[in-house]
Formats: sequence, structure tokens, C-alpha cells
Amino acid sequence: MDSYNLLNPPDTHYPMLHNKFAMAIEQSCQVLIGKQQQVKLALTCLLANGHLLIEDLPGMGKTTLSHTLAKVLGLEYSRIQFTSDLLPADMLGINIYDNNEQTFRFHPGPIFNQLVLADEINRASPKTQSALLEAMEERQVSLDGKTRLLPSPFFVIGTQNPMHQSGTYPLPESQLDRFLMRIQLGYPDKEAEKSMLKTQLGGVQHDVETVMSIADFIELQEAARRVHASDELLNYILRLVTFSRESNQFANPLSPRATKALLSSAKAWAFINNRDFIIPEDVQAILPAVAEHRLRSASSDFSSQGSLSKTLLEAIDPIAA
Amino acid sequence: MFIRLQQKLKNQGTPQSSKNIALLLLAAILVCVSFSLFASILIWILLLVACAAVIRGAIYYNYYRHLPSIRTLNLLAVLSILGLIYSALSDGLLFGMVNLLILACALKLMQMRSQKDVYQLVISLFFLIGCGFIFNQSIGFSLFYALMCMALLLSLACYHAPSNTMHKQLKTVSILSLQALPIGLLMFLVLPQLSPLWHTPKSKGAQTGLSEQITPGDIATLSQSSELAFRATFEDTPPIARRRYWRAIVMEDFDGKTWKVHAYRHKLREFQLKTKQQFKPKLTGPFFDYEVIAEPTNQPWLFALDIAVPADTQSRRNIMQSSDFLLFNRQPVVSKYQYAVRSYPEALANQALTVTDKQINLRLPETGNNRTREWVSNLRAKFQDNNKFVEAVLSHFIDNPFVYTLRPDVMLVDPVDRFLFDNQAGFCSHYASALAYALRLGGIPARIVTGYQGGELVENNGKSPYLSIYQYDAHAWVETWSDNAGWQRIDPTALVSPDRIEFGLQQAMLEEGSFLADSPFSLARLANIVWLNNIRLFLADIDYNWSRWVLGFNSQKQRDLFKSILGKLTPERLSILGVGIVFTIGMLLSLFFLPHWLQNRLGTTQHLYIKALHAFAKAGTQRANWQGPTAFSQHINEHYSHKVSDPFSQLTQLYLRLTYQKKQSTGTSVLSIKQCHRLMRGHLARLKTELLKSKA
Repeated sequence: MDSYNLLNPPDTHYPMLHNKFAMAIEQSCQVLIGKQQQVKLALTCLLANGHLLIEDLPGMGKTTLSHTLAKVLGLEYSRIQFTSDLLPADMLGINIYDNNEQTFRFHPGPIFNQLVLADEINRASPKTQSALLEAMEERQVSLDGKTRLLPSPFFVIGTQNPMHQSGTYPLPESQLDRFLMRIQLGYPDKEAEKSMLKTQLGGVQHDVETVMSIADFIELQEAARRVHASDELLNYILRLVTFSRESNQFANPLSPRATKALLSSAKAWAFINNRDFIIPEDVQAILPAVAEHRLRSASSDFSSQGSLSKTLLEAIDPIAA
Repeated sequence: MFIRLQQKLKNQGTPQSSKNIALLLLAAILVCVSFSLFASILIWILLLVACAAVIRGAIYYNYYRHLPSIRTLNLLAVLSILGLIYSALSDGLLFGMVNLLILACALKLMQMRSQKDVYQLVISLFFLIGCGFIFNQSIGFSLFYALMCMALLLSLACYHAPSNTMHKQLKTVSILSLQALPIGLLMFLVLPQLSPLWHTPKSKGAQTGLSEQITPGDIATLSQSSELAFRATFEDTPPIARRRYWRAIVMEDFDGKTWKVHAYRHKLREFQLKTKQQFKPKLTGPFFDYEVIAEPTNQPWLFALDIAVPADTQSRRNIMQSSDFLLFNRQPVVSKYQYAVRSYPEALANQALTVTDKQINLRLPETGNNRTREWVSNLRAKFQDNNKFVEAVLSHFIDNPFVYTLRPDVMLVDPVDRFLFDNQAGFCSHYASALAYALRLGGIPARIVTGYQGGELVENNGKSPYLSIYQYDAHAWVETWSDNAGWQRIDPTALVSPDRIEFGLQQAMLEEGSFLADSPFSLARLANIVWLNNIRLFLADIDYNWSRWVLGFNSQKQRDLFKSILGKLTPERLSILGVGIVFTIGMLLSLFFLPHWLQNRLGTTQHLYIKALHAFAKAGTQRANWQGPTAFSQHINEHYSHKVSDPFSQLTQLYLRLTYQKKQSTGTSVLSIKQCHRLMRGHLARLKTELLKSKA
């Protein structure tokens, strides 16, 4: 597998960074047993500087995953539990009159953190949702006529219950589009669940270590951005996107924003996999997470929902010129 | 929550795809095509079509959300089929089938939910357009149907790529059609023109043109039409107008008012059809050849100058000669019909008169028309000689102030008496009827022949000239038997109105102004205005050439075409022609695809990798279409021994490197592209030998 390294050795700088990243994955996987693929995808998303949406049933480890990621990467972390009566101010912060200094002082809300877990995002009212999503897109908050920058890096990990659960306000397509990836955790397999039970019964708590500094992380992001995408590969991505627009199977085809998301995620994925160029398999690996929540089926039967990205992948030959 | 669920269910009722413009387009096509077959479609089926189109439109423009349920449609289908069976029983199979097809399309349009439904409808509509050609083959309709075909293609394009702009779709479809055009043309000219394996079922459409009986006394105004009856193309100069008597129907049964085709002739013809026996007249004297393209009449009668016999093999197979020297087709003429005939203008005089012929042609009604009877018996007493008697009868028309008119008085009682002695005004049937009756009274066999007289001669720019014969050229004349001279044609109309015979009806009716009086906007009526007449002649010319060269292109014409290209038809030359044609089609196709090929020509890297893939495909392992190179390499690792998988994974690595890695890498350890290709070739060779070995 490593023979291309022989042909073209990567930067001498990389191995150290790569090692750090491998450690981050390893650490996270010790907490979320048997979820290596999802952990890798989540890290890819952060590496590509995108926001992550985790969608699954309660109790599947959504919160645990985001908490672990924050810890491993050494990011400032806060959690906002979204409820139907949560107001934008509860999240963004508020100006309060200070009697001593006789001025208004700004008390920043929990959003002023590097990694914000927006738990059960679809429980909040649309007003609050849109305040959050605006902050996500602009990476700044405007309050009482003053614009305040959010810390950098800034990530939002949203979690949500599947749509059909009661008491939820589903996110509209335009807002779903703001999330770079959407992943689902799913049930662990038997082995993983058994070992999870064992560790908890034995009272062993994995204390996750922080493996890198913020500066390291930003450098990693830089390096991921430099991953090479050849013309052949860009053509492959364009073929995928064009197919979604010209086929009659998709009511909502992929937007140019989605095209950009595909490329940046594929770059990060290639980087995680120790390569400085993208191959079609990278695109195929991240496409379900990047595209599924942006696509909508043209046919009304819900059975085909969920396999849309699969349909898309199977329609396009990555090798054809 | 509950409301949202309801909305979800509602949305399910009108899936996104029902908003596709393609479905609206299909509805429009169905409406257009069914209305083009207006005459043969039941009104209630047309209503169903309109309903289906309205439903589609309403859904498209959001006025309405629900398609009719399957149960409603099934009920509708059952009821419609019952109705259709009821009407098809009386109107014939073809009629029923076309109606069924339209009905099915309309119901499908109402029901359309899935992709399968759309495909079914598109294919049915193509078939329906094909059926349209059974009824309409004129150049206008052909263009219309071609347009409809393009619209169908457009709807398919819109259906599959709904987000493309209409402009782009139109461009695609027009390019496709243009590309298909030369190949279609070549195939039309070259593919063997097989005669159809089955005949279209007889339709019972309205009969047009000449009728099988005439009652001159009943008609107050002769209705005329400027519709084309048929066209005739001559190899040399056609006979002059005075000689152009186009024979169609012979009437020998007279009851004092009405002339009819005699029952004996009907029976004889049926017998001929059953036994396939041709009547063979004696053919003598000079002859000339010509081709006729008849418009559909739904009758078996064909038109030809006396005495005609079918001239080419195809015509000989389909056309029968009857004992009264008519040509009739085995099937009623339901579409434009081309046949070749040879006429012997002098042969009519040399035919024999059988006893039955004589009997039939002397039969008289028992009573009525007493004044004529008296007049004839007086004349006959004066002139014993047959010829002199005939002359005397004819001179009655000349000596008295007879008038040729298209607006005669109605003569209900003793029409011949009234015409000969009181009114003395009428058109061809009056004259023919009176003369034939008078001759029979005098003991001379006589009968009425109807058909057309004259026709408009078009010179056709030095090519063979052709005649257009219109419905208003319909005419009736008399045939009498003389023992010395055989059958003779006598046209009493010519005595009264020579203009009618020499220059046609329009000239004859100048004063009365009754030419085509009931169709004031007919182009033929406005022939005096020069430019209008030019337009009319131009249109007629286009229509003629269309009928002759496109509709009439049969195996005979095809052989002529080959002959004109090759000279003599020898097997070698034919095979050369065949190879040439295949070559031409191939050239056309490759000319079209060449830019594609050049553009898609693979680079060396791609080429070598694909060769390796082919080697695996031969060995039985096909790469799935979506599989990337790494995934396939892993698949090979799992399924093949090291000897095979090692070179392939090396090859894959090189391929990946060359295709996806940055090109301008620097550094001493980096191999040049050429070196990489050499390595790849080496791996490929090893892979192939290993694969062969493992096979063995």
C-alpha cells in the first residue's frame, strides 16, 4: 500500500502531524467503540473546517462523540441544549447594565467557544435555529448593532433526532446545506457493545488525552487544504454533480456549495489516509456524508430515501475519461 | 404535528415529477394527434382526451392536486371499452383499433405516475403517429407528424433532464433529428420496399367522389368541389382535352328516373374477385402509358382512359378489369393510390357485344316519359337506318335552345319528358340520361358512363407532364352500340356546351357564374387572379411531386432508381452498390463520431490501465461500473493469488500516481512519466501471462 510513498515521498513535515492525527483517532475510538468510520468522518469534517450534523436516535452516543472530539483536539467546548423555549439571547449572549461602571456590559453566551455542541437542534424554534445557523455561516455574531467575532477555529456540532420523532421542527434544506457533513452513528455491533459493557462494569473510565495544540490543528487544516486534486478527479466530481442535476431522480440536486464541500472533504479524507492527492475512493467515502442531506428524491416513496447517494455513486464511472 | 402529517400525505399524492413540463407536452401531443384524426375518432373519446389534457394542465399549474384514482380509471376503462365495442361493430376493425389506441393513451395520461407509465405513453404516441399516416399522407400532414415526433423526443429529453433550459433541450432534439435525417433518407431509398405483410383492415369511411347512381331530375344545384380527384403522369404528350374521357363507372339500369350500376355487373365483379379471373378485352391499335395517383375515395373504382389495362406487375396484381371495361381495385381505395396503366384509345370499337350485354342495354322502364316515347317512335318511323336515327336524336339538342346550367329546375315526374321538351336546361347527367333513354327507345343499346372529363395540364418544367383532375371535372356521357362500329362514345353535352369539353367547367360557366358557387374562397374559383393562380399551381405541384416520389416510391421505382445509377442490374453491380451504401452510412456515422473519438482518445496511462481491466474482464472478473481503482485492486487481492494480484496492485499504484498525483513533482527519487509507463507495461505483461497460466 505504501509504494507510492517510495515513488514520491511526502513532505518531511507531515509524519509528525500525521502521527498526532492517528493518535486523535485512536483516542476517540477508545471511547466510541466500533465506530471508527464515523469518528474518522467527524474528524475529516473538522479538518475541512466544516460544521457537523449528527443525526440519530437518543442514546446512540452523539453527545459522547462531540465531547470526545473537543477533548482530543484541545478545543474550548460548550454545550447548548436546545429546547422549544430557547431564545437566541440564551445562546448568543446579552448586554446587561453594570451599576458599578454605569455602562452596558456584554455577557457572551455559550456560543463563544471553539466547539459548540448544539444538542437536539431540531427541538428549538426556527428563530433560534436561524440565529445559530447565521453564526455558523458568518462566524460572527451581531448583537445590539455591534458585531463580535467568534473564536477561531469555530465549529458547531449539531445533533438531531430523526424527523419523524414528535416535537421537532425539521431544519429546512437551506439550513441543512450549512452543515458540511451529516453522519449517523447507528447501533454498535455485538462485540463492540459487549466490550463497552465490560469497561463500564469494571469501572474503567477512559480518560481521553488532548493530543495536539490549536496551532497544530490549524497547521493540519492548512496541510489538508494543500492536498492535490488532479483534473481527472475534478472531472469525476463534476460528473457526479451534473448527474444529480440532469437526472430525474433528484428533486433537489447538488448545489455549487455542495461541490465545494465534496472537494474539501475529499481532500481532508485523503490527508487522514496519509496521502497528498485525492483518489476516487476518497470521494466515494465522503460522498454519503456530504451529499445525502442535501439531496431529495423526486419520487414520493420514502423507501428510496437514504440510498440517494448510493444511486448517485453507482451511476458514475470514476475511471471513464 | 397532525397537520404536518396531512401535508406529507398530500404531497405524496402529487409527486414532484408530475410537475414536469414533459407530461404537459405529452398531453399537448396527444390532443394534436387525435384532432388530426378528427374524422375517424368518436366524439366522446375526443372528450376524454380533452379531459385528460385538462387534468394534466391543472396539476401542472397547481389548480388541482389529485390524479384520478386507479379505481375510477378502471371503471372508466371498462365502460369505454364497452362503448367502443358497440361502435366498432358497426364501423369496422381499423376504426375500432385507432379509437382504442387513443382511448388507452388518454387513460394512461390521466393515470401517469411512474417512469414506466411515461415510457408506455411515449411509445404508444409514436405508434399513434404511425397510424396517422393510414389516414393522412399529404405533405402538410407529414410535416405535422414529423413535428409531433420531434415534440415527443423533446418531452423525453425534458423528462430525463428537467432542470435543463428549454432552449438547450430544443437544441439537443433538433441536432438529433438532423443527424437522423440523412440516414433515414438513405434507408428510405435503399432498404427493400417489401409489400406489407398484411392489409390494413377495411375502414368504412365516408365514400367520396362519384356515386354509383344518378338521378338527374332531383338535383337543383350541382354541388361542386375543388378537391383533387386524381393526377395522371404521361410519358409523352397527353391526349388533347376533347379526348380525355376518364372512365370510372358504367350505369345500365334505368327505371325512368335513376340510372344505376346493374346488379348483373355487381355479381360478375364479385365472382371475378373470388375466382381472380381477369376479363380480357381485345386490345388493338396504338396505345400510351401513364401513371395515375388517385386520392382516397373508399370505393374500388379506378380512373383510366378507354380502354385501359394495368401496366406493371404490382398494378396487375391488385387491379381487375371488368366486363364493362372498367378498372377496379381489389380493396377500396382508402389512401393515396398509385397505379400504372396502358390505354388503347381505339380498342373500344372492337369489342364484342354479348347477348346479356345487349339485353341489359336495351331494357326500358314499363311506363313513364310518354312524350319521349311518342317522339322517338315518330323519329324511328322516319329514320330506319340506325346512324340516321342517332343523328336525328342528336339534332334535337342542336335545333332547340338547350342550355348548359349547373342550376337546373327540379324535374320530379317524367324527368326526361320535362327536360327534353319543357325546361331544356341541365348539366351533363340530364343530357346523358335523356340521350341514352331515347336511344334505347329506338332499339339501340346505350348506357351511361360516368367519370371525369378534361383536367388541368401542368407542363412540369420539361419533365413528363401531368394532369390534375378535380372533383368539378366529374362528367357523364353515353356509350352506344352500333353493329358496324362497336361501342361508340357520344357526349351530348359537347353539342350544347362545347366550352365544357374543350376548356373545362370554369370557362363554360363564366356567364352563369355558378362555378364553385358554394365554395367562394376556393383557390380554383379565384384562378383569374394571376398570382393566386400561381400559388395554387405551385401548391398543386408540390403535392404532385410528394405523391409521386415519396408516397409512390415502391419496389418498381426503387429498381428504376438503381438502374439509373448502375445502368444494368447485374448481381456484381448490385453488390457493389450494397457495399457502397453500407460504406456511406458508415462514413456518415464515423464523420459524426470522429470529434468524439478524438476528444475521448485515452492517454497512455489510461490506456494501459484499461487494458489490464480488459484482461481481468476476459478472465471473468468485471469491474463494477462505479468501482474506483483502489477498491478494484483490493477486490483482486482478495480473489486472486499473489502472482496475479501483485503486478496488478503495482500497476494500480502507478496508475493512481500518474492520474491523480501532482504532475510537476521534483526530486531525484521521482521517476519520469516515461519510466512509469515502461514499468506499467512490464506489470501488464506479467499480469497477462499470470492470468493465462492460472486459466490453464
